[in-house]
Amino acid sequence: MASPPLLLVAAFTGFPIVLAVAYSLGHTGGLNQTTALIAQHQHITDEWWGTLGAYREVLTNPRFRRDLGVTVMVTVVSTSIVLVLALIIALYLRLTGGWAAKLLTVLAIVPQFIPVVIASWSVLMFYAPDGFLRSVFAQAGLEGPTFGYTVSGVVIAQVWCSLPFAVLMCASGVQAVPDALIDAARDAGAGLVRTTFSVILPMAFVPIVIAATFTGIGIIGSFTVPYFTGPNAPTMLGVDMANYFTAYNMPQQSIVMAVVVFGAASLIALAYIWANFRSSKEAGA
Amino acid sequence: MALARRSLLTLTALAGAATVAGCAKKSTDATAPQGSASGSSGGANLTVFLSGDTNMQELWEKALIPAFVKANPGYSVKVQLDLHGEHDAQTKAKLTAAQSQGKDSGLDLIDAGFVTGLAEAGIMEPISTSNVPNLDGVPADVVTAGKGGGIPYRGSSVLLAYDPAKVTKVPTTLDEVLAWIKANPGQFTYCPPKSGGSGGAWVTTVLDKYLDPTAAEKLRTTYDQEAMKGWSKGFAELKGLGPSIYQKGVYPNGNSQVLELLASGQISMCTVWSDQFISGQKTGLVPDKIKATQISNPSFTGGAAYLGVPKASAKKEHALKLANFVLSSDAQVLIANQIAGFPVIPLEKLPDETQKIFKEAHPDVLRPGYLDKVGNDMSAQWDQLVPGK
Repeated sequence: MASPPLLLVAAFTGFPIVLAVAYSLGHTGGLNQTTALIAQHQHITDEWWGTLGAYREVLTNPRFRRDLGVTVMVTVVSTSIVLVLALIIALYLRLTGGWAAKLLTVLAIVPQFIPVVIASWSVLMFYAPDGFLRSVFAQAGLEGPTFGYTVSGVVIAQVWCSLPFAVLMCASGVQAVPDALIDAARDAGAGLVRTTFSVILPMAFVPIVIAATFTGIGIIGSFTVPYFTGPNAPTMLGVDMANYFTAYNMPQQSIVMAVVVFGAASLIALAYIWANFRSSKEAGA
Repeated sequence: MALARRSLLTLTALAGAATVAGCAKKSTDATAPQGSASGSSGGANLTVFLSGDTNMQELWEKALIPAFVKANPGYSVKVQLDLHGEHDAQTKAKLTAAQSQGKDSGLDLIDAGFVTGLAEAGIMEPISTSNVPNLDGVPADVVTAGKGGGIPYRGSSVLLAYDPAKVTKVPTTLDEVLAWIKANPGQFTYCPPKSGGSGGAWVTTVLDKYLDPTAAEKLRTTYDQEAMKGWSKGFAELKGLGPSIYQKGVYPNGNSQVLELLASGQISMCTVWSDQFISGQKTGLVPDKIKATQISNPSFTGGAAYLGVPKASAKKEHALKLANFVLSSDAQVLIANQIAGFPVIPLEKLPDETQKIFKEAHPDVLRPGYLDKVGNDMSAQWDQLVPGK
């Protein structure tokens, strides 16, 4: 019954999750003992099932709610921008082609090879008060915007870091649409817009959903980008979790936040699973 | 059957996806500790664990360890650095777990902010002049603050750094600094207390201004939640400063990030660690024109840094020998020269030129910061109350 991969997943992913969730419910004994020995502001259970004290504390904290809102907002906005940009590049490559389109695709993939820490730092420098953008504006005698240490800066950096994967997925999905179908649509009198929305995008639906879900899951749990480029407050939950875990020595609250992010990421993952089932059904499996 | 296999595949793919996403967003982790076996003939392979900046790594690797090995052939000493102490909580848990199981953690000498906390919990080897002879002459209250297991080995203090070209009348008291910040919006900032001690000292000092002296004194040694309630006025003052801070409330993460803003001229005043400032001027990171001074009433906090030897270490005597060497006059001069750390041993034991530099700032007169646990709560409350609208 228990196949080796299942055991592996259970041992390295499942078991620590169970342990962490038990700790968040106030079970501080057993394997959680060492963590509990040092942590501050713990909620310890005296019921057999646990206590929701830590959840109550975190969920009623206005700062957590604010940061959860920011995290969701950044995830939705960044993922949408990434998808739109990736689709524009993919369609341009598919429908027009040529060296300009290829160059654009290659450029969009470059961030894949740059470590996130370096990318975040350079985004910060680029949009700093003495950065490139404002310097260019200043040449023309204008006052440019400062995006360093703002939520807009976080969105810019997230888009920058997430674009390559989305471009790769969307481009390959759109490329896989057979020429015959596009030609047939054109012969039947469909214009560019109609061909795109009625033929190409539905055909490439699954890769697009995969691009969107992976981008969304990556952004919702990100730490480096908001830590470097974002404001001190509000910030994303990845940064909050690290702060609670190390700086404030409150691991229990940190785990509660992780559970919330896990829940949110699971919702995104549902879309991915649904797309997968749909595609295997279409394949006739 | 087919369905079961497909869902398993999906599950594996999901797990794979999570791993990939995790890797892409995560920065590099600290390397795993390396086991080291003790050598023969009086020597040993020691591992020194550092929680701090790269300047500490250089101090140990380029100055202290070569001098120690030269004086004590047969020893070899390795350094393990946790940059900015990002994994302090994990290191503490590791040492605590090693102690409760009576096992060697692989770390023989610890140089970190949490040493005194662990000493208090009984995880560090108790020290005295009998096992660390060079402690003789170190100010008694500095040794006491080590909670019996921390070996004070250097001091440092937070100072007010400023650009004389823009700050014409240099503030000398905390009230004058606060007035200057409000009069010159956008020209001052500090790092969040969790991300660096220079910001921590600034926040501590402003909070102390509104605390009654007995409560402030208590928070140095005990975790007293009642006394912490007195912080509200100080936090209100810090929040009120917000619009006058750099970019209307930007607090960069890290001591050096703030110092960099001052060096590049984006701000004209900030708080800074004495050692970081002096060595920054030596290396050219901080321009010569930038000056630093201590304020009074109250002064910025500072204190000693502590070494600790885990009780469970199998090479305790060897680690204590290294610690004792760090307190020798030779090593203290190295620390003074390399990172401008204040010596903790009596100044008369040191050469004249070193004495001259540190005449004004002996660690026994430095105002200590809050207790470790109190500091954690201060960081949490600062994040909650100060930044943002």
